[in-house]
Amino acid sequence: MASFSTRVFSGLKYVVSAALIFSAAALLAFGPRAGEEVPKNCVVVDYWEKWTGEEEAAMRQIVDDFNSTVGRDKHIFVRYLSTSNIEQKTLVAAAAGVPPDVAGLYNQDIPQFGAMNSLEPLEDMAVERGITADKYKKVFWDEGHYDGHLYGLVSTAYDIALYYNKSIYSEGASALRARGLDPERAPGTIAELDEYAHTLDRIDPSGRIILAGYIPAEPGWYINYTCIWFGGSWWNDGEHKFTFTDPGVLRAYNWINSYSKRLGPKAVAEFQSGFGAIDTPTNPFLAPTVAMVQHGTFFARFIHHLKPSMDGQWAAAPFPSYDPKLRDVTYCNCDVLVIPRGSKHKHEAFEFIAFVNRQDEMEKLANLHCKISPLAKVSEGFLDHHNNPYIRVFDALAASPNAHPTEPVPILPEVNDELNDFTQRLALQQVTPEEGLRQVQERLQQKYDDFIADQLRRKAMEH
Amino acid sequence: MNGNHRRLRRAASNTMARLHSETRAVLRGLAFLSPWLVGFIAFTLVPIALSLYYSFCDYSLLQPPLYKGLTNYHLLVHDAVFWKALGNTAIYALMALPLGMLVALGVAMLLNVKIRGLTIYRTVIFLPSLVPTAASAMLWLWLFNAKLGLINVGLRAIGVANPPGWLTDVRWSMPALVLMSFWGIGNTVIIYLAGLQDVPRELYEAASIDGASTLRQIWHVTLPSISPVIFFNLIMGIIGTLQVFATPYIMTGGGPARSTYFYTMYLYDNAFSYLKMGYASAMAWIQLLIVLALTALAAWSSKKWVHYSGN
Repeated sequence: MASFSTRVFSGLKYVVSAALIFSAAALLAFGPRAGEEVPKNCVVVDYWEKWTGEEEAAMRQIVDDFNSTVGRDKHIFVRYLSTSNIEQKTLVAAAAGVPPDVAGLYNQDIPQFGAMNSLEPLEDMAVERGITADKYKKVFWDEGHYDGHLYGLVSTAYDIALYYNKSIYSEGASALRARGLDPERAPGTIAELDEYAHTLDRIDPSGRIILAGYIPAEPGWYINYTCIWFGGSWWNDGEHKFTFTDPGVLRAYNWINSYSKRLGPKAVAEFQSGFGAIDTPTNPFLAPTVAMVQHGTFFARFIHHLKPSMDGQWAAAPFPSYDPKLRDVTYCNCDVLVIPRGSKHKHEAFEFIAFVNRQDEMEKLANLHCKISPLAKVSEGFLDHHNNPYIRVFDALAASPNAHPTEPVPILPEVNDELNDFTQRLALQQVTPEEGLRQVQERLQQKYDDFIADQLRRKAMEH
Repeated sequence: MNGNHRRLRRAASNTMARLHSETRAVLRGLAFLSPWLVGFIAFTLVPIALSLYYSFCDYSLLQPPLYKGLTNYHLLVHDAVFWKALGNTAIYALMALPLGMLVALGVAMLLNVKIRGLTIYRTVIFLPSLVPTAASAMLWLWLFNAKLGLINVGLRAIGVANPPGWLTDVRWSMPALVLMSFWGIGNTVIIYLAGLQDVPRELYEAASIDGASTLRQIWHVTLPSISPVIFFNLIMGIIGTLQVFATPYIMTGGGPARSTYFYTMYLYDNAFSYLKMGYASAMAWIQLLIVLALTALAAWSSKKWVHYSGN
């Protein structure tokens, strides 16, 4: 006969099991639901975006604007989801046949996704709404295109300039003047930039870098486009050929290499290992351990948030070129809104994209993100009240004929990885610029040719 | 005749009843197994079979697969980065696996000694293996920092003027990752410890009476007794080191200059960054064959050095 304790335990088992099942069922039935209430009789447009934090909150304001105005009138409701690895998640969702109606991708995704026929062309819907090339700064209109089709419209945009620390310039004023350099302004050419950098460098007797005037690898985000300031380009879009052996490209990499040679690869590597990310106070421009950096419009927001004491102590100017006649050169980048192939509400999705591209909404979002407006027409209010005090510099650069977009290459992730590896080998003095570029050219051209051959074979089979 | 016929019918009827009962038992078993079985077929078996097919295709997820025969395998043979990643993985496995097993065994032996505070020591050794990979990678990223890291600060304090640039120097990046892999030996130590506690005390007593020193006892008693455990850890280690991914992906991204770019990282990049699922599938099948071959080799060699107590 079972003991009393065994019987109690056995009974308890059933009670606990029943309680667990009941709780699970109750949670399923009455548990919390997603906070967003979808209004009745509305078409729901699912919008996935990559941003988090303040950037996510800024876009939410635009989504709320849409839902409470145009969306309400036209019975469209945008359901906004912030998610990491947006391009991969969009890819997998598109492959499964359940893509979002709008995806906030990076501009570099357009050639890759466009070449694989996985984005909806937007040109017809754009024309219907009067969204045409003349409404945009040329570079940003081009960013949305691949192979003659418009696949994406810009959500936020930025371009690159030289940020310099005025306090460090002041501290080194006499040394700068001694070399015939003006401490009150930014360098005007690459040769001058080198002079400024060399003068501001502070190296201890053991060769350890204490402060660098400039190093090309900080932050290094745009280092693959350095050639544009040297009058070069690594892609010939007309002939669909890489041109890494172009003299301008070689000049650029020789220049990058000169910094590692001058300061020493080990010293640079050790110096860089102490750098914090852009969103930390240990960022080298804020620390401050680097006097000049090449950065985007948005960098001003980080400076202001992380080190308000630096407000007024820095300035931005066009990044100098190798050739003094080559002026106002910049690299432009942007986030794009696309409609993945298979979207169930294309027209409603485009309604939202068009709303974001309205001047008032675009300027509101651009200011919240501390970026420029990709639109040709920019209001004085936007320029006067922008969070980046040098917004006019950035705006003028993006409108310049020497503003360069991301190259429209469908194998861009591979290009970036190859170039990053080459730049690292160069920094470690493992390869010469000539040899490295020849290897990159050979490898990437082969990859591109293979990619195009596969796409052509695919098209031939479809026909 | 009639009697025989009846006996036969009875026997047949009994057999049918037994078969019926066995079938019902099998069906009942399958029904209980079905949640796992359905999951296994849908999420493991079918994807494995499909990946074999995709390895012969051009496939990006965004477009239907396009058969291209052995092209992916042919391209892999001529891909310098493939060989670089494979070489890095082999070097890592050759360094991390034997050293890791040795360190784990040594620690397990120390933890098998009856001393005060043993539970605390065991907990301390096991604890790091509970830390999420991303968190421990970030921790080690700072420890290895060439300028501000605790390791180099310590080395400078004891007079090393130029300590290594652990993750920025191609000569040190791989040893740094191997060193870091010891951080997670807790699981292996626990398995060794269980094996060590199963070694009969009488064997040590007999060896001791025969005058065997501690080292001889370890060589002739401990190691043969726990050889099945060593074999198990070896197989798991082979599989684990050949699939190393998350830690270098977070800490180095494969750099500097692809010195820590491992096979699985290149596979992942091909699949999800370059959208070459066919190419990545071919890589996955080559990886599977390598793991299978090494496991078979270990299993074959085990006949010579693994001793099971029943044998």
